[in-house]
Amino acid sequence: MSNPSSFPTLGTGIPVAVGQIDRELKKLWEQSGTVASRASLINLAIYCEGKEAMERATQVIGKITEDHACRAILICAEPGKPESNVEAWISAHCHMSRAGAKQVCCEQITFLLEGPSRNLIPNIVFSHLDSDLPLYLWWQGEFPDPIDSQLWNWVDRLIYDSRDWTDRGRQLRLLRDSLAEAQGRIILCDLNWTRGLYFRQAISACFDNPGHLPFLDQIDEITIAHAPGYRCTAQLIVGWLASRLNWKGPEGSQNEIVFTAGNGRRATIRFVERTGAPISEARIKADGATFLFTREEGSEFLHAAFTFPDGRHIESLLPAGRDGSAELVNEELVRGGRNLVYLKAVSVVERLF
Amino acid sequence: MPFANEFLTFLAALNTPDRIQTNPLREGLAARPLPEPCTVVIFGASGDLTFRKLIPALYNIAADGELPAGLTVVGFARRPKTDESFREELETAARKFSRQTVQDEVWNSFEQNIFYHQSEFGDADGFRRLAERLDQIDAERPTRGNRLFYLAVAPDQFGLILEQLKAVGLNKAKPGSWARVVVEKPFGVDLPTAEALNAEVSATFEEKDTYRIDHFLGKETAQNIMVLRFANAIFEPLWNHRYIDNVQITASEPLGVEGRGPYYESSGALRDMVQNHLLQLLCLVAMEPPTDLAADSVRDEKVKVIRSLRPLVGEDVATHVVRGQYSAGAINGKNVVGYREEDRVSPTSMTETYVAMKILIDNWRWEGVPFYVRVGKRLPKAGTEIAITFKRAPAVLFNNVIGEPSENVLVIRIQPDEGVSLRMQCKIPGPALRIEPVKMDFHYGTSFGKASPEAYERLLLDAMAGDATLFARRDEVEGAWRFIDPIEEAWHGKGPQPGLAFYPAGSWGPKEADELLAQDGHTWRRL
Repeated sequence: MSNPSSFPTLGTGIPVAVGQIDRELKKLWEQSGTVASRASLINLAIYCEGKEAMERATQVIGKITEDHACRAILICAEPGKPESNVEAWISAHCHMSRAGAKQVCCEQITFLLEGPSRNLIPNIVFSHLDSDLPLYLWWQGEFPDPIDSQLWNWVDRLIYDSRDWTDRGRQLRLLRDSLAEAQGRIILCDLNWTRGLYFRQAISACFDNPGHLPFLDQIDEITIAHAPGYRCTAQLIVGWLASRLNWKGPEGSQNEIVFTAGNGRRATIRFVERTGAPISEARIKADGATFLFTREEGSEFLHAAFTFPDGRHIESLLPAGRDGSAELVNEELVRGGRNLVYLKAVSVVERLF
Repeated sequence: MPFANEFLTFLAALNTPDRIQTNPLREGLAARPLPEPCTVVIFGASGDLTFRKLIPALYNIAADGELPAGLTVVGFARRPKTDESFREELETAARKFSRQTVQDEVWNSFEQNIFYHQSEFGDADGFRRLAERLDQIDAERPTRGNRLFYLAVAPDQFGLILEQLKAVGLNKAKPGSWARVVVEKPFGVDLPTAEALNAEVSATFEEKDTYRIDHFLGKETAQNIMVLRFANAIFEPLWNHRYIDNVQITASEPLGVEGRGPYYESSGALRDMVQNHLLQLLCLVAMEPPTDLAADSVRDEKVKVIRSLRPLVGEDVATHVVRGQYSAGAINGKNVVGYREEDRVSPTSMTETYVAMKILIDNWRWEGVPFYVRVGKRLPKAGTEIAITFKRAPAVLFNNVIGEPSENVLVIRIQPDEGVSLRMQCKIPGPALRIEPVKMDFHYGTSFGKASPEAYERLLLDAMAGDATLFARRDEVEGAWRFIDPIEEAWHGKGPQPGLAFYPAGSWGPKEADELLAQDGHTWRRL
């Protein structure tokens, strides 16, 4: 990432009075002259807590803007501070455009809300949106109870990471209430779901082959190996398989559960905790065939190996994506549409959460 | 109520049908037809196209994880090579020409699917061995018996290869499988040769299994033309003769013939670019909305446009078409020779390196709207674009203001710097009423960080998926030649021939091309 000389480099940027942000941004762009183009396709509002999270979020925004031009509105709360106080900064993330020599820059407006000032969030967001562009809200951590409906009704996509939640049941209930209020308009983007995307794609691609498809009805056993703290990611992958295959269940809990398929066949699911990639292995056994998907820690590839009862063995290499927050958000941003498949997967494994 | 039920109720309320697909796991993961496992047999595996385009494209598809498991590539060519030496050559080429950096891990996995088959194109035994090898591949690998035959060879080899494929039965798929053929341009050099070629192809493969590649249609911006027209409510009501004054389609390049003199001598700009690429773009701009996005629905509409092109016959050619040839000049600050001085080009050559033409479409929508098409080599800038110039707004209010109101122009840039811009009128700030044109400009490269896939990636995926939307149909190709042939006849036939206009390399073409538009009160757009 580089910046034209007139632009503030990051950290947080140039401190500005909250009421002067638009004017200061305008000045910023005037100073840049013709060396840079401002680009924005979305408003990306990010909520986080604590200054360390704020710095991390700023770095992540820098990476996101390389692929997705946006106006970033970073709201950092420090609710533990006794006094109410609001500070703001402006900055820009710039990179060379694919198209040519000009730099492409995206604005970031950063707010620090100290003390009991969370009620300011809707106004802060509303008053600094780039008009006519959709609003994506990335809420880091737990949702407040209740979620502010005033803000909620403006959100087009809600990004969150269910892995960060300590009480998933409560968070899902909050989500349910808010979804009902928004009448289903909001698109949910769970980064924990995105984390399993490449495994889901690899598993799905293997059954694109009509010759492999009958094995889907014959699954006996699935083993998923996950890193410590990623059980919920593994559960979402299982929820996806179970919901897509219309399995009933689950029975059991924790490390081993059982689903029943429509044909009465029972599929045993085992979760294995293992140091390594968030999801390091998915092994599906079906009627004598084994479909194995593995990923080494840090690798950008999934290794797929299929063995069939007649002795045939097929191997292939598939992309595994990356695990960083920016990469996960970027993955989400290139995908449109309502995440109905996600919602069904969640509904299957909610009890395990 | 349990959370799960709430969600299901919510899902039902969304009223979105839960599509049942063959593979139930695919739901939500892919929004395009899926490529099916198959063996891709490339005829002309030692050729430039294979090394520069096809293998890099297949590698990129693999790196993106979109290559169906078990996809197998068999290179077919005359030179003796082993699988290993063929793979090594392809790796070198992929590292040079691939859009993405070649990663060892991906390449090592990908190359295991590549094999080489040595044979002459006319060798019956070579094809018999090919058939056996493909059967063996089908038995050992999950290709499902599907075969995609890619003719990456000169058109004069097509007949030979197709004949041999038919002789060993490779043109017919086994039950539950498919056999398709991909044919590279040029699709003939005139209508009789195109018909003969199509007859050869159709004697071997059915039309539904024939994929004629025009790589222009695989470009992202070309695909965006339909989205721009039909997904934006503001354009379509204005997209007709009542509001559009003229349309200009330009394809310019600073390059000369770059060592391809003999090919260009037999082709020329009209056959090389206008008959295929530019008429395809014209069709996308001019066609009616298709009933759906099925391949034949889209192609039906394109064919209707081709059938509506007003024929340019006899004297029309002199009045509606300008052919030019570059003479010595300068490109990018360097002196360059004229076309007739190029390697292996006749010093008296009459081959056109530049064409400008006025095309009229005789249908309701485009009555009286000229489509100006120009293409040329050794022009100052590289660029392919479509410019839609709207009629001027009534000037009643602004007759006496400083600055003459100009037309609104919508520009669709195909390459490079893909994007869309719209020129409109704006008041210059100040107490006086002064009007100046301003430009709203959208650049793909600025707004979307991710690079678009190469045209060949998209087209190979489509051929593997059985989606022929972006491939030319037989009647499109023959219709285009039916329009082009009388022009070639006027230029090269026995009657009085319109002259060849010369332009210095590095200029924007001959003055006759400017005069072609000037007679209608128009000028060429400045790129």
